[in-house]
Amino acid sequence: MSDFSSLAELVINGNYNGAKDFTQKLIDSGADPIEIINQGLMAGMDVVGVRFKAGDMFVPEVMMSAKAMSTGIELLKPLIADSDMPSAGKVLIGTVKGDLHDIGKKLVVMMLESAGFDVVDLGVDIDPDAFVNAVKEHSPQVIGLSALLTTTMLSMKDTIEALKEEGLRDQVKVIIGGAPISQSFADEIGADGYASDAGTATELCRNLIA
Amino acid sequence: MGVGSSHGNGLFFRTLTEKQAEEIHLASCQILEDTGMVIHHEEAVELLRQAGAHVEKGNRVYFPSSLVKKALQTAPSRVTLYNRKGEAALHLEGSNVYFGTGSDTLNYLDPFTFERRSWTKADVANAIRICDKLPNIDFVMSMGLLSDADPRMINREQYAIMVQNTEKPQVVIAEDGATLQDIIEMAACAVGGKEQLRHKPLFMIYTEPTSPLQHPKESIEKLLIAAENGVPSNFACGGVAGASVPTTVAGALVQANAEALSGLVIHQLKAPGAPFVYGYGNSPLDMRSMQAVYGTPEAVLFQGGAVDLAHYYQLPSWGYAGCSNSKVCDEQAIAESTMFTLMGALQGCNIMHDVFYMEFGITGSLELLVISNEVIGRTRRLLKGIDTDKESLGVEAIKRVGPGGNFLGDDHTAKHFRDNWFPDLSDFNNYENWTADGSKTMIDRARDRIKLILETHQPKPVSEEVKAQIEEILHKAQEKFGGKF
Repeated sequence: MSDFSSLAELVINGNYNGAKDFTQKLIDSGADPIEIINQGLMAGMDVVGVRFKAGDMFVPEVMMSAKAMSTGIELLKPLIADSDMPSAGKVLIGTVKGDLHDIGKKLVVMMLESAGFDVVDLGVDIDPDAFVNAVKEHSPQVIGLSALLTTTMLSMKDTIEALKEEGLRDQVKVIIGGAPISQSFADEIGADGYASDAGTATELCRNLIA
Repeated sequence: MGVGSSHGNGLFFRTLTEKQAEEIHLASCQILEDTGMVIHHEEAVELLRQAGAHVEKGNRVYFPSSLVKKALQTAPSRVTLYNRKGEAALHLEGSNVYFGTGSDTLNYLDPFTFERRSWTKADVANAIRICDKLPNIDFVMSMGLLSDADPRMINREQYAIMVQNTEKPQVVIAEDGATLQDIIEMAACAVGGKEQLRHKPLFMIYTEPTSPLQHPKESIEKLLIAAENGVPSNFACGGVAGASVPTTVAGALVQANAEALSGLVIHQLKAPGAPFVYGYGNSPLDMRSMQAVYGTPEAVLFQGGAVDLAHYYQLPSWGYAGCSNSKVCDEQAIAESTMFTLMGALQGCNIMHDVFYMEFGITGSLELLVISNEVIGRTRRLLKGIDTDKESLGVEAIKRVGPGGNFLGDDHTAKHFRDNWFPDLSDFNNYENWTADGSKTMIDRARDRIKLILETHQPKPVSEEVKAQIEEILHKAQEKFGGKF
């Protein structure tokens, strides 16, 4: 077994202490940091993704694997220029204005991160202007809007309108989700996508960015 | 002696108080002593007479209460059934619960053609194969009456099918003593001899009185053969409240208990210390349809009472679960069978049969069997109760995650989420993913599972030598009947 596949195995097993030590060992031995990520850490997460989809792994185990990956990435970050950092894409996410619910959104964040996305989580009760400013600051490829309440889901439309007014709508894909949300509501307010759960949201982001 | 079932951690269930159990016990003893039983078996009558029972008109036997007391002292409080490999499989004791199918249904609800038709040997072999695969089906009974067997050979043929299609223990029905002897021979072949079978019983025999208060010749014959050979036995009629036993739950218990105890007395006189499983069934008469129905609230309560009596006597208990009156595997079937399964488990009934029975036991459904396997899985998790050790209390995890955090990413979740129950057939998908999988209902998924098991699962076969020996036993029995029917 190569060193990279040993590292991938540690990620698959969710052994985050082991993955951290092994990454350090590879760095010390002079391995290329980008290769450590692509052939070790990310390669492990790719297997995790396949197993999760097949029902052979469960969410808490995926979380442990993601933790293993990120402990490795933390060590590698200082060695790689920001622009060279491998990423599946950048996603900005937040719960819309008036809504404080975030468990579902956090699940989406965790799933996205474990799939290799760079995620900026704005938190809860985010008004349209704050979303607009964050898009300007972070230049994400996707922006995810979350709501649990039928009263707050209307703010999703306002956010999309605000992006249009600022001329940002064409630069970013907007996806929405939450208990009261449906595909037809997404169509109605002009969102680019809707996902019914955290796993589907990850796939949706992949498809929109591809 | 106490009543009630202690399950995992603090989980406890009881139907009767100890005082109620004693009231029923004393009432049953009164019936045994004052009213007695009609026993159509000379040896049994003689055994009882010599032990001090009063006998009138040749076969009306009045049991002194002291005989009951003595039998309860010699009967073991635990019985173990072994699998074909000789491993201890069912520990019938305390509050342990085990589940299995029923025997001899007339009709098979074909899961692929949806016909209600007679069983063939191939159908029964397939049904037993499915039981072999299902993790929560602990033992098998014969499931279907064979329409393609010599009618005098049905129980022997059923046994041959069971023992060759699963390694799990069996509960057996036998037409008569000679059939039981042949079944003992077949089982002995499978486990390596009669002495081995006595040491590690592979099957238990189900024998029964004919309520009210009569013991047929064949039942006693089987009871005595079982006692002699160390084959665990019950003596458990299916009472019909309002017809063969009183309509009140307590009255049904008094009579059922008297009959079961009378069987125990005869059994223990024949072979003190032989393994006996206490129990009785009650299918109350529906006063509109005149059907003996399964799993009514009273029938379930009755079982709770019977199990508490078993605990009171420190005997292993026998009962029912997973059965229904419905004609097809519909909502009624699942409601009735699930309630019986859960309640029987809480009651701590050691060995429960009839999982897959439909239509008062006239028809059998493999869909109900497969769905019940899932229900039993849920139930088994419930019986574990709530663990409150330091790790389970999770104080450190709660502190780590803190206000507004999320347990999904915490080690505590990763370490313990697998302790929780997982669905196998139940669908926990959201609507979108459920429709993407074909919008299948539970019964669709049960049928898929049946198909998959039949296509992929091959139970461990018996050796060619054992197979030939079983064939030989069947052949000899057939010859005794003077050839084919």
